[in-house]
Amino acid sequence: MLRWLATAAIAALLVLDVVLPHTSLGRRGPEALQRADVAGVTVQVGAPAPDVSLRTLEGAPLSLARFRGHPLLVTFERSVDW
Amino acid sequence: MSRLTAYRALCGAVGALFVVSGLICFAGFFRAQAPGGEMAGPIPLGVGGLYFLAFTGCALVGWGGALLGAARQPHTHRTVGTAAAFALVMMAVYRIAAWLIGDYAFLGNLPRVEAAVLLLFALAFVWLRPPAVSEA
Repeated sequence: MLRWLATAAIAALLVLDVVLPHTSLGRRGPEALQRADVAGVTVQVGAPAPDVSLRTLEGAPLSLARFRGHPLLVTFERSVDW
Repeated sequence: MSRLTAYRALCGAVGALFVVSGLICFAGFFRAQAPGGEMAGPIPLGVGGLYFLAFTGCALVGWGGALLGAARQPHTHRTVGTAAAFALVMMAVYRIAAWLIGDYAFLGNLPRVEAAVLLLFALAFVWLRPPAVSEA
């Protein structure tokens, strides 16, 4: 009985491992949904940055265009948001 | 090849692999202490990573040794195979999670492939385990 339970658990994990790339989580989970917003966007060195809309930590909308004409330091970090 | 022979071969092969891997990890800690040594590895670990690399090496030597014992006396060391299967599943679970989280994107699909291999090995440990022998 325990042998079959273990087999079922391992088989479930194997199925999960195989189908993960084809699920809504997609490749890299929630990040894939964010990447879709900027898919195909390329930035050339020296060219103006394309306008992107983001959200602040408080949830308020924030547009990059708002800082046009002012020095701006942009850094990129990632965080896990399950 | 009988089931028992296959189980012994599995324990022996995985045990030997773990012992060798463990010794390499253990030696890697000391190698990294040499000037510029830390940069020699494929992945920069930092002092914390090196510390756990050495710990992993010690644990692998112990685990591999137990598996080698199970290969020699499979009937009296059945629980080693069970524990090995459980640990292999744990290793697969964190690899799947690592693939999902994305911090290990530089590894590509390697974590998922490794997870699949580990789960197959776990299945082998589960199904090849010899029956219990009643004590006289």
